[in-house]
Amino acid sequence: MPSLTETSGRGAGPSFGAEPPFVHAQGISKRFGAIQALDGVNFEVARGEIHVVLGENGAGKTSLMSVLTGLYQADAGEILVDGRPVRITSPADALRLGIAMVPQHVELVNNLTVWENVILGREQGGLFLRRDHQRQQVAELAQRYDLPIDPDAVVASLAAGQKQKVEILKMLHRQARLLILDEPTTYLTPQEVDSLFGTLTSLVQRGMTVILVTHKLRDALRIGNRLTVMRGGRVVAAGVPASETDELQLVRWLIGGQDETGQLLEAEPLPPLGSEAAPVLQVENLSVQVPGRVALRDISLTVRAGEIVGLAGVAGSGQRELAEALVGLLPTAGGRVLLNGTDITAWPVAHRLDAGLACIPEDRLREGILPSMPIVETFVLGLHRYLFPDGRYRIGKALEAANRVIDEYKVKTPHAWFPTAALSGGNVQKVIVGRAVQMCSYHRHPALVAMNPTRGLDVRTVRDVHHRLRQVASQGGAVLLVSEDLDELMGNCHRIAVIYQGRVDAVFDGPDYDRYQIGEYMLGRHEREAG
Amino acid sequence: MDWSVLLSADVLGQMLFFATPLLLAALGEVITERSGVLNVAIEGLMALGASVGFLAAYLAASNGVGIGAAMAAGGLIGLLLAYGTISLQVSQLTLGLALHVLCVGLASLLYRLVVGLQFVPPQIQTFRGKGGDTLWQVLTGLPGPVYAVLLLAVVVHVIIFHTPVGLRLRACGENPRAADLLGVNVFRIRYLATVVGSMLIAAAGALLPMMLTATYSDRMIGGRGWIALMLVILGRWLPFRIVLGGWLFGYVEALQYRLGLQLVTVPPQFLLMLPYVFVILVAIRAYGGAAGPQALMRPYDREARG
Repeated sequence: MPSLTETSGRGAGPSFGAEPPFVHAQGISKRFGAIQALDGVNFEVARGEIHVVLGENGAGKTSLMSVLTGLYQADAGEILVDGRPVRITSPADALRLGIAMVPQHVELVNNLTVWENVILGREQGGLFLRRDHQRQQVAELAQRYDLPIDPDAVVASLAAGQKQKVEILKMLHRQARLLILDEPTTYLTPQEVDSLFGTLTSLVQRGMTVILVTHKLRDALRIGNRLTVMRGGRVVAAGVPASETDELQLVRWLIGGQDETGQLLEAEPLPPLGSEAAPVLQVENLSVQVPGRVALRDISLTVRAGEIVGLAGVAGSGQRELAEALVGLLPTAGGRVLLNGTDITAWPVAHRLDAGLACIPEDRLREGILPSMPIVETFVLGLHRYLFPDGRYRIGKALEAANRVIDEYKVKTPHAWFPTAALSGGNVQKVIVGRAVQMCSYHRHPALVAMNPTRGLDVRTVRDVHHRLRQVASQGGAVLLVSEDLDELMGNCHRIAVIYQGRVDAVFDGPDYDRYQIGEYMLGRHEREAG
Repeated sequence: MDWSVLLSADVLGQMLFFATPLLLAALGEVITERSGVLNVAIEGLMALGASVGFLAAYLAASNGVGIGAAMAAGGLIGLLLAYGTISLQVSQLTLGLALHVLCVGLASLLYRLVVGLQFVPPQIQTFRGKGGDTLWQVLTGLPGPVYAVLLLAVVVHVIIFHTPVGLRLRACGENPRAADLLGVNVFRIRYLATVVGSMLIAAAGALLPMMLTATYSDRMIGGRGWIALMLVILGRWLPFRIVLGGWLFGYVEALQYRLGLQLVTVPPQFLLMLPYVFVILVAIRAYGGAAGPQALMRPYDREARG
């Protein structure tokens, strides 16, 4: 197993000595069709530590955790708990051993209350639910572990950070001894991250063991006692004490190569912005009211030529509604949208596209592509208006354009006729970004609305996507980058607007942002302080 | 004509009477749907229940035996549906519709095999109430199944909202993965809900010959299954609201027969159409903003990625 050699010399820290590791996975392999998700993985966690598992998307982190929690059955390998071999064939088995997972996308039953979610599956005693008694128990548990949550709140009404705490509460109720958190900080504001890490630290002090799965180096070094790094379904560094490594070393492990690692860490500078750049996309007092969706109230925002403006906000604050209103999918209730000075408020989608508005949709599989149709057809959809101005569908021309993007963006596919959905997420996104960028290229001052364009992608593709956004901007375009990842916005935007409950109350100028100040606005705390 | 007929004791009694099979079927359906499985074989299951129930009741000269046999037959079909949609993860719509067609054919075939072609169709004893003249006498003198089904609605409500099993049932229909991660056996709950629901639906079918006609005929379900399916949506997956919705339809059906006697100038075909027109009107209102269990119609695959 070459994967272990890099770190075998250091071994575990002195405090994790003689006793057998709490959980020890040996030689775990798991294959999904053609993909070897896990390839002979060895992994161990000591009692009472915060162990960070670091890796890119697709490195096998989540698969390994799913094997530990019984969601996946390993094809080969063995799991030992306290030195004894165990069989974990379902999440229920894992729970009996005290192993519990808080998944990346919080798995709560939205229509139930907090206490119902907590006791679900472990209702205890009797034919009937003893409401008062059980609610009381949940409230006490929350208090004991200092997790301030109202047990009667309906889960759907909670913020992301609170939902995560409900998940933790659930596992505490089940007397979990090992808590696995999968990418817990992705959708949290800086304040919520602090609060979560505080909770985890205090849990560990009371005897809990924590595995934190992440791809964020900062989080890893900040909270981890030891780190395990995975790449391509293997462990490349096992149980390294956090004090003995640094970001550069971790990136080397993550990426594998030596040559470009420094580059990947370093942010590409933003294209400079002329002081009198003309406004391209102007939103003036925009209001949107659609039943069942977040109402937008009086939003004003300008993106100038050559500028990338970020839209920060907690998920569900109205980002999606704003993007859809700009593209023309939602009717506006008031205000105006101008593109290069022309009022497009009442224009249908097609006219907006013709005028130079392009979009990278949020959910690439459902909104971005024709899943079972070939890449070339996914690619020309929308571009057809430019490629075939006379209305005749010439496949040769489409193929030529698609192949150019496949080459330029290094899309990994056997050929342009491959079904789009059979590509990996990163490659699908390259096709979508390529399409949007090409649409922009037909205009002098296009506007590009990018909705969470890098969600779930690996470092290289993320960097690629960011590079393309800059390219659009540097050629005179205006980019509105919507993201829930504050780091992404701070590294890529000239300015950051913050949306909270359908309103934009603040726009910050870069490049030196105060992450906590932005966080305050994302959480709407500025309002409570003011009034 | 005399408009007081609209609220006469007679019509109100018949409202409860006609609502009964609809309600029973809708209660079966709501149990199944709450677990995340949509049972669109409902109309066929009722037909099979009517046929098997009638035949068993006829041969054993006992309606109880008939209902039991109908439930057994419904349970078998439910097991088939559960195996296909839960274990094999076949589309619930496709398999449900296939089973609907199968059941309709099977119902007809079974009747032919046992009874054959007879000039005078065989009859069974229908459930009878005491009846009466005053409103109180009418409402308390209805046949037993009317009250049994209302009691069942209470039981189903209590099970869904006040027992651990009900909590698990709701969780499976909303977010099966969350339930699974907490050690709830999603597959077992969904199997159970589908089979029990199908049994109740088949029993509802059996009530038709036992309450209304005393004989069996093909197509006697006449869309009641589809109405029950809609009742679940109209009732927002809540048993008590389903009861109210069921009464609404029972009322329209009762009225249809009454008006047939009163308004001789109106063609009876038009009156027969009334409940279905009503379905369309209600559907337009009811579908707006109705949010069912979020995992409804979504098979649960534990190893599904991403």
